[in-house]
Amino acid sequence: MDLQTLIPSPDVLPVHWAWFQGLLSVTFVLHLVLMNLMLGGVLIAFVNQLRGTTSATDRFVVGKLPFVIAFTVNFGVAPLLFLQVLYGQFIYTSSVLMAWPWLSVFVVLIVAYYGVYIHASKWEALGSARGFVGGTVACCLLLIAFVFVNNMTLMLEPHSWLRYFEKPGGLLLNLAEPTLWPRYLHFVLASTAVAGLALALYGDHQVRRGQTEKMHMRRQGLHWFMGSTLAQIGVGLWFFKTLPPHVRSFSGSLEAWLFTLFLSAAIIGTLLSLVFALGRRVRATALTTLLTIIFMVAVRDLVRIQYLSPFFSPAELPVAPQYSPLLVFLLFFAGGIALIWYMIRLVVTGLEVKS
Amino acid sequence: MNYPVWQLDWAGGGLLIAVIAVIHVYVAHFAVGGGLFLVLLERKALAAKSTALMEYARKNARFFLLLTMVLGGMTGVGIWFTIALLNPAATSVLIHTFVFGWAVEWVFFLGEIVALFLYYYTFGRLSPGRHLILGWIYFICAWMSLFVINGIIDFMLTPGDWLVDRSFWSGFFNPTFWPALFFRTFLAFMIAGLFGFVTAVFIKEEQARHTMVRFSGKWLLAPFVLLMLSAWWYKAALPGELQELIFADMPELTFFIQTFFVLSPVLVVGGLVMAVWRPDKVRFALAALLLLIGFVYMGCFEFIREGGRRPYIIRDYMYSTSILKEDQEAVRQQGVLAAGRWVKNRTVDQDNRMAAGREIYNLLCLSCHSIGGPLNDILPIAERFSPSGMNAVLASMGKANSYMPPFAGNAAEREILADYLTLGLVHRLPAVKPLVALEDVAPFAHEPESRYLLSAWALDGMSFTSNPEESGIDFSPALPIIRAQLIGRAEAPELLRDGVTVTYRLRLADREVTGDMQPREGAFVAELAELANVEQPYHLVTVAAHLHGEQVARTRLMVAQSAEVDCNHCHGAAKAAEQQGLSRATAANILERHDRRSNTELVARFDQGDTIVCAECHADSSRNMAGRDEVLNLSASLHGFHAAYMADQGAAACAFCHPTAAQGASQSLRGIHHSLGLDCLNCHGSISDHGAALLKAEQAAGKARASELLAMIDNTTLPVESIVARQPWLNMPDCLACHEDFQPPETDSAFNRWTTEKEEIFHNRLADEGSLYCGACHNEAHVLYPAVNPYGAHLDIQQPMQYQGDSLPLGANRQCKTCHTIDMEYEMHHANSLADLRNDPGE
Repeated sequence: MDLQTLIPSPDVLPVHWAWFQGLLSVTFVLHLVLMNLMLGGVLIAFVNQLRGTTSATDRFVVGKLPFVIAFTVNFGVAPLLFLQVLYGQFIYTSSVLMAWPWLSVFVVLIVAYYGVYIHASKWEALGSARGFVGGTVACCLLLIAFVFVNNMTLMLEPHSWLRYFEKPGGLLLNLAEPTLWPRYLHFVLASTAVAGLALALYGDHQVRRGQTEKMHMRRQGLHWFMGSTLAQIGVGLWFFKTLPPHVRSFSGSLEAWLFTLFLSAAIIGTLLSLVFALGRRVRATALTTLLTIIFMVAVRDLVRIQYLSPFFSPAELPVAPQYSPLLVFLLFFAGGIALIWYMIRLVVTGLEVKS
Repeated sequence: MNYPVWQLDWAGGGLLIAVIAVIHVYVAHFAVGGGLFLVLLERKALAAKSTALMEYARKNARFFLLLTMVLGGMTGVGIWFTIALLNPAATSVLIHTFVFGWAVEWVFFLGEIVALFLYYYTFGRLSPGRHLILGWIYFICAWMSLFVINGIIDFMLTPGDWLVDRSFWSGFFNPTFWPALFFRTFLAFMIAGLFGFVTAVFIKEEQARHTMVRFSGKWLLAPFVLLMLSAWWYKAALPGELQELIFADMPELTFFIQTFFVLSPVLVVGGLVMAVWRPDKVRFALAALLLLIGFVYMGCFEFIREGGRRPYIIRDYMYSTSILKEDQEAVRQQGVLAAGRWVKNRTVDQDNRMAAGREIYNLLCLSCHSIGGPLNDILPIAERFSPSGMNAVLASMGKANSYMPPFAGNAAEREILADYLTLGLVHRLPAVKPLVALEDVAPFAHEPESRYLLSAWALDGMSFTSNPEESGIDFSPALPIIRAQLIGRAEAPELLRDGVTVTYRLRLADREVTGDMQPREGAFVAELAELANVEQPYHLVTVAAHLHGEQVARTRLMVAQSAEVDCNHCHGAAKAAEQQGLSRATAANILERHDRRSNTELVARFDQGDTIVCAECHADSSRNMAGRDEVLNLSASLHGFHAAYMADQGAAACAFCHPTAAQGASQSLRGIHHSLGLDCLNCHGSISDHGAALLKAEQAAGKARASELLAMIDNTTLPVESIVARQPWLNMPDCLACHEDFQPPETDSAFNRWTTEKEEIFHNRLADEGSLYCGACHNEAHVLYPAVNPYGAHLDIQQPMQYQGDSLPLGANRQCKTCHTIDMEYEMHHANSLADLRNDPGE
């Protein structure tokens, strides 16, 4: 069967595709950081619980999760929207193939979400049940991550879509995908690294404000960061090796050049961040890590384009220009940021006055 | 066509989206109305300086946050996931068309989260003014989310000018945008009141509890009037055909519309009871009940709105099958198995026929029909149909069943799907033919010297009966009528009437029936009322003539009266044995469909034991029943309505209801025309032709329904404008249309050339000499001599055999001595009557 015939016809874009690619990448970076904080925070607290080393730090982390999960979901909406605009014919198809697991995401998410609230608000009351709640939340989020990794790889592999004809009931996964496990581990490790780093950053900030008792928070956070990132080097190599040859080594195009550039920058960023972390230079670590994430997101987008290159390029998408809605969005976006800034100022100054 | 289909059985038919969407929509409206509720509640608590109220406000905010942000927000994501799985093509259109609308909504979603977090977590920690500002910001963000989503949702119902200009703004600010926005806003306030009841009843302090229950009551009741006004505006903003579709043409929506209207006063009364009477003992139970009623109320509205889009998912643009309206015809020509991308069974043979049927089902049916599930289950529907009946109903989609998309496949695929649904899914048993207990009967002996010849014939070769005594429904045409003429044989034969009496005798299963035939219009006539309810299709009737009391002649004729009215093909049967003729189960379904479509209450009467006589409303001139003036006559109604189902089935269409099927037990076509290969269509036209001709006469009589049915008719042989209007039982196919001047025909189609006077109808027409009926020599129109009855060679040719020893029309091939005793040279009966019979079957 000619795989090309399976790929649905795309719909028309209202503006040049680069707009969507830009919005996708930017919002995905934000989602990724928040997702890392959420998943990593849950995992760190849960592991400490298992180890029997639960401390006030975990209480602190868990207490922040209701906010983090809300913003993670919110910032997940935007990149998923722009992904559907650019790659709808792929993501809709792969979603249908694995419909039940994919649909279960929001149900599992509701369980995790309420679990997070229970965990945070009933911390003391839960006592020994804390591990159960934390474990449930961790399992839920790991499950969601697993389903996402399945779908994000299945959408790139029309070859594996043929299985639909034997199993059209929406119960497929993409388990035969060579990159599946390293990719999954890559994200999980990135989560514990980033959440650890965030902890260290907060601890560092407090220490700088003279609260030396937060020193352990910085130390513990950096340990999580360094441990995860060191493991990430191995996983990253594994991941890279499992990429198909036409994705791993391609040349002669702008994309190839950018791929090499961003990947190199990401590797250098990772190594630098490790060096900074060893020297307990938390802010520098955070900055290099943020840059690394940005580079990795760029690499990821290039990898996706390269994966789909035998079938499709976003540049081929038909455009029927209508720029006024974009303009309206940008205005609302700017207005929204201003509004949020206003609200935060209102609260911060209000609390100061009150105190 | 473009995307793979998630093959769901039980959970198909939109169950998933219905469940998730109704929950989300309810909570999401609460998220809007509840936002304002919170702010005004806090103001009230501040004004009253009530710590109890303020504490309630804080707790309410927490409840609100946990419910709306988690369940509301996540089910919102769930809807998005679900629609993309159930209808990716439509989702893609919505996403691509309104991507920046969604993006704006995302910004407001973010604003909501920030504002609500800040609002809740700063409760009691900020100055009241600042805190209230946060609440107001939350409400505005939530309402703006509604504003944006409302535009996109209503776009699907009324895309308006977008269909022409494809502009974001035309689609967004579509014809129902504003009324829907107000409607939803008021609904959101009411829902806030309903939730307010549930939380307020838990306030411990009595005064504060009463205050809040009353406050919540105002939230429920005050917006109600505005809700009703905006509902009226909403309805008025719908295009006319959409209003008609939702409120008149779609019986499936009646339940939701009625429930919505019934629940409106229930909510008002419930709200008044809560707010005024404040029954402490059952306060939580009543509050919870009202909340549940509100949930059903909202669900009804959403079902009506969603149902109103049918057969489209985006009205006038994309069908619920995901096929674009503009592509429909091309897909139909190509076939769905060829046009679809995600198709396995591109070619079909016996081995994969059922698999291909399932695949067509997935592509065209699954989006609206589950298999065995709670929503739009296909199984009880399919159980009613035979494969050919299902094929007919599939053909009617988009016409008689206008809320369904036109069937997108070709004719072969329609048959495959019909087989899958009826044989693959529900295993309909093959029909059981009734036993026809009939043996050949030798005619009376040939008596060449007899002085008399008695000719007798039935006016209709095969009447049919709906078996009213058993079925409870009566749409039979006139009862079988037999007619006889006694001829005194001579050189110049004489038609004898004076002093003549004629009797008939027939044997039924349980008794023998005799009777006198009445002299009328130059012949002797009897109506065989005894055959109104018999299922045995053939009856040999003996007729005897008496002159001054002495029997001078006798003969036999075959009277056929079939109960083989196979409505069960589409209207179901209780069991296989009942798939022949009309059972009560079949009749009940016919009446139930009639009630649904025409807003009648026939089933209730039927259940009480009444026999429903269709001609009481639908005029039937064959029975001299005038019906009701504004209602279509029975023939126009039956043929005109069913034409939409069977337009392309040729003569097979007739055999659904008339006993004409070649493989049927009782076969009304047994005459020479049938032997020569002609069928119903040669004289009557196809069911579309026939229906159109009948409807045009009713349209000319000013009956609106005729125009509606005419609009559904297609596949006519001639353009509808060229079809000559006709009255049933008066304007009949004219034999002389083909046999012009009684000569051999130069055409084989008599369609559209009707008799204009009663006397011109074949069974009323007299020969040129003015005394003999055509039927006296040729027999009845569907059983013209030489006729062949499959159950016995002599059954339908009793008289030619008795008088001539052959099967030919009386006097054919110059056998003038049959009556005249000498050979004749003058064609006194009609031109060409002395020619050789062209279709003599020989021995």
